[in-house]
Amino acid sequence: MGIGELDREAHVAEATSAGAAPRTLAEALRARGDEGLAALLRARPDLLSPVPNDLTQLATRAGTRGSVVRALERLDRFALQTAEALAVAPDPAPYPVLLALLTGDEGDPEIEAALPGAVALLREQALVWGEDDRLRLVRTARELLSPSPQHPSPTGLGPTVAEATAGMSPGRVQEIIATAGLPPTHDPVSAVAALTELFTDRARMGALLDEASPEALSVLDRLVWGPPYGEVTPNPAPPVQWLRDRGLLLPVSARTMVLPREVALHLRGGRAHRVPEPVAPVVGTARDYRPQVVDSAAAGQAHAALATVEELLKSWDQGGPQVLRAGGMSVRDLKRTAATLDVTEQLAAFWLELCFGAGLLASDGEADERYAPTPAYDDWLDLPPAERWARLVAPWLTATRTAGLVGGADAKGRTLAALGPDLDRAPAPEVRHRVLELLATLPPGAAADPGTLFARMRWERPLRGAAQAAPPRAPQTASGGPDDSTDPASDASLDLRSRLARWTLAEAELLGLTGRGALAGPARALLNLPLAEAATPADHGGRVELSVAAGRAATLLAPLLPEAVDHVLLQADLTAVAPGPLRRPLADALAVLADVESKGGATVYRFTPGSVRRALDSGRSASDLHDFLTAHSRTPVPQPLAYLIDDVARKHGHLRIGAASAYVRCDDDTVLGEILADRRSAALGLRRLAPTVLAAQTDPASLLDGLRAMGYAPAAESAEGDVLVTRADAYRTPARTAPVPVPDGPPAPDTTLLGAAVKAIRAGDRAATAVRKEPAAPATTGGLPRTSAAETLATVQAAALTGSAVWIGYVNAEGAASQRVIAPVRVEGGFVTGYDHTADEVRTYPLHRITGVAELADDQV
Amino acid sequence: MNGPLIVQSDKTLLLEVDHELAEACRRAIAPFAELERAPEHIHTYRVTPLGLWNARAAGHDAEQVVDALVEYSRYPVPHALLVDIAETMARYGRLTLSKHPTHGLVLTTTDRPVLEEILRSRKVQPLVGERIDPDTVVVHPSERGQIKQTLLKLGWPAEDLAGYVDGEAHRIDLAEDGWSLRPYQKQAVDGFWHGGSGVVVLPCGAGKTLVGAGAMAQAKATTLILVTNTVSARQWKHELVKRTSLTEDEIGEYSGTRKEIRPVTIATYQVLTTKRKGIYPHLELFDSRDWGLIVYDEVHLLPAPVFKFTADLQARRRLGLTATLVREDGRESDVFSLIGPKRFDAPWKEIEAQGYIAPADCVEVRVNLTDSERLAYATAEAEEKYRFCATTATKRKVTEALVKKFAGQQILVIGQYIDQLDELGEHLDAPVIKGETSNKERERLFDAFRNGEINVLVVSKVANFSIDLPEATVAIQVSGTFGSRQEEAQRLGRVLRPKADGHQAHFYSVVARDTIDQDFAAHRQRFLAEQGYAYRIVDADELMES
Repeated sequence: MGIGELDREAHVAEATSAGAAPRTLAEALRARGDEGLAALLRARPDLLSPVPNDLTQLATRAGTRGSVVRALERLDRFALQTAEALAVAPDPAPYPVLLALLTGDEGDPEIEAALPGAVALLREQALVWGEDDRLRLVRTARELLSPSPQHPSPTGLGPTVAEATAGMSPGRVQEIIATAGLPPTHDPVSAVAALTELFTDRARMGALLDEASPEALSVLDRLVWGPPYGEVTPNPAPPVQWLRDRGLLLPVSARTMVLPREVALHLRGGRAHRVPEPVAPVVGTARDYRPQVVDSAAAGQAHAALATVEELLKSWDQGGPQVLRAGGMSVRDLKRTAATLDVTEQLAAFWLELCFGAGLLASDGEADERYAPTPAYDDWLDLPPAERWARLVAPWLTATRTAGLVGGADAKGRTLAALGPDLDRAPAPEVRHRVLELLATLPPGAAADPGTLFARMRWERPLRGAAQAAPPRAPQTASGGPDDSTDPASDASLDLRSRLARWTLAEAELLGLTGRGALAGPARALLNLPLAEAATPADHGGRVELSVAAGRAATLLAPLLPEAVDHVLLQADLTAVAPGPLRRPLADALAVLADVESKGGATVYRFTPGSVRRALDSGRSASDLHDFLTAHSRTPVPQPLAYLIDDVARKHGHLRIGAASAYVRCDDDTVLGEILADRRSAALGLRRLAPTVLAAQTDPASLLDGLRAMGYAPAAESAEGDVLVTRADAYRTPARTAPVPVPDGPPAPDTTLLGAAVKAIRAGDRAATAVRKEPAAPATTGGLPRTSAAETLATVQAAALTGSAVWIGYVNAEGAASQRVIAPVRVEGGFVTGYDHTADEVRTYPLHRITGVAELADDQV
Repeated sequence: MNGPLIVQSDKTLLLEVDHELAEACRRAIAPFAELERAPEHIHTYRVTPLGLWNARAAGHDAEQVVDALVEYSRYPVPHALLVDIAETMARYGRLTLSKHPTHGLVLTTTDRPVLEEILRSRKVQPLVGERIDPDTVVVHPSERGQIKQTLLKLGWPAEDLAGYVDGEAHRIDLAEDGWSLRPYQKQAVDGFWHGGSGVVVLPCGAGKTLVGAGAMAQAKATTLILVTNTVSARQWKHELVKRTSLTEDEIGEYSGTRKEIRPVTIATYQVLTTKRKGIYPHLELFDSRDWGLIVYDEVHLLPAPVFKFTADLQARRRLGLTATLVREDGRESDVFSLIGPKRFDAPWKEIEAQGYIAPADCVEVRVNLTDSERLAYATAEAEEKYRFCATTATKRKVTEALVKKFAGQQILVIGQYIDQLDELGEHLDAPVIKGETSNKERERLFDAFRNGEINVLVVSKVANFSIDLPEATVAIQVSGTFGSRQEEAQRLGRVLRPKADGHQAHFYSVVARDTIDQDFAAHRQRFLAEQGYAYRIVDADELMES
């Protein structure tokens, strides 16, 4: 990159002498209004933490690699293409040059219309600065986007002629010049310039290529859209030789040739990208439904979602599965949960994460750690259905945990467990929001065509998905991401963003945010808030806003949900049908008295001796049950059902079993004889104590089970001889808070913070610029120059850029102060490396030992 | 939003029968949903892939199915279910079986990957021959049934366009003098004929023989009729002679005693499945004539070897007749895939409401075991337990009381255990028909019973099926084949023939309380309870007192 560096230095030097135009990014920022600064800080909130002291520091920070990568990731495809084009354009590039790179020689009205917006966006984000006649991409962005053999450019362009010939012998260059038919010159620089000029001249280049053989042209064809590198043998075929002789291919190493950028651009008709995409793809409509159909379908699904969550947590009422030592649920428990809910494991994971995200379930934190519903679940149960729905949907929207990953493997090949660690994906809330927003752009009732929706999502953040494919906790991989994303091959596999978008569509349907693929009314209400605030729940303002929106959505949903019924239909085949969702106390009571056979809009219950016994066990008497059924049945209680209850009740409690001594007593001594005579009772270790009492060796619970297995219906008895009532206690965790989303990067600043920050930076900047002239005075007096740390850094960085020498004050490890004149070459990691004119060698100084720095007058070098 | 139908997430449909739109809704969902239960208030239908494919075969498309659900549903229909229905139905017709002018039977596809997928299956490979072109493969003609069954199991049902052979023509007409087919019988015949092959489900006593006769009159071809036993075969013959233009000479009986092959031949399952030296010598009956129609009576009893052979008869029209398509071995779907889909199904209570079968009062009588019996029951071996409680002496007393109560009416006492039946016969002074009773003796006794010479008949399970005893009004069941649902229904069927005086039929099931007899009884009653027969339960003591 040596020549490019020289090139840039020349331009910078030129710019320095130009005067009025901004010399550096800092100056460009300084020239902005407060609004412009606020816009920058809003778009790149990472620049705000901590708030920079002044504009120089802000500009420095805006040029750091991490920040630039983050900003590039947030660009849409066209802005990114614009930046990529700038990276292969001369620096600085006038606007027409940039336009030509994007449109090619033919021109394209769409691009012409879109480009000013893209440039303005890049400028706002401080990725590009300078006036239209000299647009500059910040150096880090240029390094990230410009081509090098290690990572080919997304444009597929190779290095320029000047860069590619940098290491070539002058004699070789002369040969090329001669073969290309250019007048000979002995100066290598002018030779390269002449060659460049030839390659950029469309007419002369056309004439040159007219002489090429078809084979030679097909070689060029293969390289023109990149990658521009090709392997050659030491004695290449004649067509390659022909191209090499004329400099149309230049050697990179003994076996590799490259197509110079100018030649490729000529062959491409001047275009940097094969397919510029100036306009966002439109989200298409797959099918139109009546909005009522959509709303009712969505409401049906919302109702189903509530039922599923309730069913899930009810099944964990006595305590859920164990927490794995590494966190999360075991695969077996997930399978079991899936079977309970009668859904796939993937879906079961979704419902689990939904409950977890809403704070309805958590680990109980005991030594033997298990999952269980939280106290918040009990509160949740008492809410009206629409409210319950809102409490599920609002956390889902902002959660960074993504259920879709469950079952996949992390970077180390370990399976990601449901409710386990490493499920947070920072882009998730933004993607969810954006998908729903895009759905909202369609007219009510229109179901989006997923293909176009995903295309739009990809267009909006082309780099983001690939960059975040690895978990955010592995920063190395994450920061390495953009480089990978420039590899066109990685686009083929589905990136995280697309997967997130897919999951969002599926999950929105499950939650009843969409019905039949179209956004439902309540979901529209939920979305009625700016994205930035929703994405940062830590920000208090956003939270209130979201809960208000969720409340509005719930109000809209409430009338659409099926109304709860307070009766059932009893039938002679011992079933009861609740023709709609049952009111809670009724549903709970019935769930004890009968087994659920089928769920959905209605519920079908079946009465069995077992279920009736369960009800009797829970302390209700036969007459209670009769009254209950009569009160809640629309139809007369069928005789077989009444008989079933009486029959079970008659036997129920006939046998009594003591807990303390484990005994069986029964007024009917034949029964005891019967039990004793039964061979199956042997395991229970029974012994007749009295005609009506048996003692057992086993504990009362096994005794109960054993006798029940033998077909009896014994009741447990307390020490006082009363029947023990077995009613299930609900198991809960201690009070738990829901997991807080882990957003990517710092929160978006609000207006007040932005204003304050801008003011602070301005003030700091004024102070910094005010003292700026002072170091000049001590420089002449021979004392140590003193400047602030930020000033020092900025100055040595500028010097490194321009290659100029500076005068520094330096304190060595022993505390001895000295003055030195150095030409900084590299500034990194708190060290400045440069040629020390005083010592006449290259040295490295720690920045914190430099007391100050001053520029030299030109005659001092 | 106020329809009669509730769509459940497990793909059952609940139909509220008292709703004003219930009838319209029933008609709309009948083509694709199976009626599973029909108790008094809410009927349960089930949507199965088989039902959806049958609907496709009958010319309905997914849009119609979805519309029917959405139109009548009270609550929004889950989207996943609608998608699933559309996807399931779209699987039908990707493969077709048809006749190729030069290659014979071929399997063609409109979707090449499907053909690739099924050809890779190890079960399909032996059934197909050479690949004619990328979309067509030859099928061995004898494997037509087998491949259909296999493809169905793989989830890619083939549309069978290869048609039927007409068989040897033989003139058969219904002799409708003074009677005519009932409307539902006519519907059943039409439904069957339109569909080509299939199963007709009608309650016991609703006249399935006439549906068979109607189908024969449509086919006008030589017919093979498969029945459960010889008595039943004679009844078929008798009925056919009476109701059709066929004469005695045209109808042959192929049973243990006689081996006649005539234009209409009635064979028993038993003789077909007689195995000698490892082969079934009588199965060649299927090939002995160019049959135009094969009728399977009581198709739910179809024995496994006949299953296998039926698979090879796919080019002939097949009619299955049954009252209770429940098999405790769960092979209902084999019946559907080999004989054909259900073409007609009428809930029992509906036929009863039309007056074609007698209303029945079903009662479960619970008897208590005596103390000594209880002790003995508790110590009995597991396999002896049912026999012990089912044959308790108390049952005999209850049966005697019941016989006394209905004195003068025609009473059947039905049981499982011969000892018990012999004892009952002795006490009731009634003849006993059991396995060892000769056919001649059986017919004599049945005739005497029909004529009223005998009032009480004690029968074993040989009389479970197809015994036509129109005047029986009371059936007392003392024991049965464990928890068999269809046996219970068939036994009720013995008394369901409409009575001359419009009398109600009585069905008593005597059950020992607190034993597995009671558990089995509960299971046995399930089919009838689901058909809307509400059992009353009475205590034996109450009954004896009254």
